[in-house]
Amino acid sequence: MRILSFSVLMLLLLVQPAFADELALVKKNAEQRINAVIDYIRDKNLDKNTRNQKIIAAMSPMFDFSQMAKLSMGKRNWTRMTPAQRQEFNELFVIRLQESYLEKLDLYTDEEVVVDQAKQVKTRIHVRSHLVAKDDKIEMIYKFYKKNNQGWKVYDVEILGVSIVQTYRSQFAGILKNQSIEDLLEKLRQTGGFTVPTGKY
Amino acid sequence: MQHLFRLILFLFFLLLVCGCSQRHLKPETSDVNSKAQVADQAISDVDPSQTDTENKIIASQNDEDGVLESDESFDTFDDEFDEFEDEFSDEVAVEVSDPLGGYNRFMTGFNDKLYFWVLKPVATGYSWVVPEFARRGINNFFKNLYYPVRLVNNVLQLKFKNAGEETLRFVTNSTIGVLGLWDPAKVWFGLEAHPEDFGQTFGVWGIGPGPHIVLPVLGPSNLRDAIGLAPQWIYLNPVNNISTVADLSGLEKIEELDKTETKLGILALERVNNTSLRLGEYESLKKDAIDFYPFLRDFYEQNRQRLIEE
Repeated sequence: MRILSFSVLMLLLLVQPAFADELALVKKNAEQRINAVIDYIRDKNLDKNTRNQKIIAAMSPMFDFSQMAKLSMGKRNWTRMTPAQRQEFNELFVIRLQESYLEKLDLYTDEEVVVDQAKQVKTRIHVRSHLVAKDDKIEMIYKFYKKNNQGWKVYDVEILGVSIVQTYRSQFAGILKNQSIEDLLEKLRQTGGFTVPTGKY
Repeated sequence: MQHLFRLILFLFFLLLVCGCSQRHLKPETSDVNSKAQVADQAISDVDPSQTDTENKIIASQNDEDGVLESDESFDTFDDEFDEFEDEFSDEVAVEVSDPLGGYNRFMTGFNDKLYFWVLKPVATGYSWVVPEFARRGINNFFKNLYYPVRLVNNVLQLKFKNAGEETLRFVTNSTIGVLGLWDPAKVWFGLEAHPEDFGQTFGVWGIGPGPHIVLPVLGPSNLRDAIGLAPQWIYLNPVNNISTVADLSGLEKIEELDKTETKLGILALERVNNTSLRLGEYESLKKDAIDFYPFLRDFYEQNRQRLIEE
């Protein structure tokens, strides 16, 4: 009996660190990528185009962009779309996210980024980071989920308590209340107009 | 005999668990490693000038999760969606009451014009004339003066530790920091500011936001936060109570200071100075929106909610 309880104890001890290890791994991974991005920004020898390309290349594997696109559209509206529409929406959405991200980086060139905590939230992992600017601190939370066979991927980012996916989702839902999916796609094709080229297209 | 059997069983169990926990981790590590290899190859193919930073990170230009996703995954959405369905909804995250939607939309447009036609050109010109360190100093100076607002609201929310920290900050920055122009409290002593206002205090007390209201010049707000501005302005705002501030600082009484024009002038300076340090932020935020007004509204309400929960 004692051995049995001992084995149960051992089991608990062994299982517990498993997730802790994953937490640490996800955090480290995010940290490395973010630091790499900062290195690129500080590297004055890179021209903007190459720099942006490198930044996107460094960050992309951490993100599940298609998942973000899907979640932003929501189940109800996603099911209403044709495969071609889904494809186009996905592309437009991803470019948008990337360009918006790059433009934000341009705005905060001299800031420090600190990755300070990885936390388990149900089946997900939230990695919290802070952008330490000269006169304020901007909190960013990267939310990871475990994708089949592909490890942990970001499905949403929260900035100052505002979820990017949720913000897009309520906007899309608002537009689709009175307008068609084609109208929405048209809007996505036009708006944005970010000045930063991703270099990808 | 029985013990031996149990021991073997236990060892087997142990082995199983170790195996599991390792396998649990393996996909992640091997996945990352193989990707790193692919990435290094991809990069060396594209760019011969490979540096250390590139080796350090795991970069992949042809990442299958990126834009080049095949159609296939688009059809397997059912299970995944259900998994996320609790987290997001078609409605906005924070319930926003917006009976004044029409007016708000108009006022957002008005403020937008005000920014592009007046505030931005003035702030840009100002930023050419005044060097950045001076603008940061002025910004710090005003922030330091708003100490009474932060103190009172931290206390009203029973955040005594933060109130104490604020007080230490105020004392340090007003003296060593030369009238608050510089922030040694943070730089040297690691004391962070704890901004709180009446809107947040009311929120902490359990008062809901009420309808969303876009204020002229000041921008997005709601009924609760707008009402909170009144006591703040009347009793605690350093600009409105400027003669008291002058009194406390031991300055002679100057009639000029109490005039509305003076106060508006100071507020305008504060705003222009602050804007000059944040040029481009508004523009970028605007581009993130597909429909600007609801975007700004939800952003404001969600952010306020977060600040109140803290």
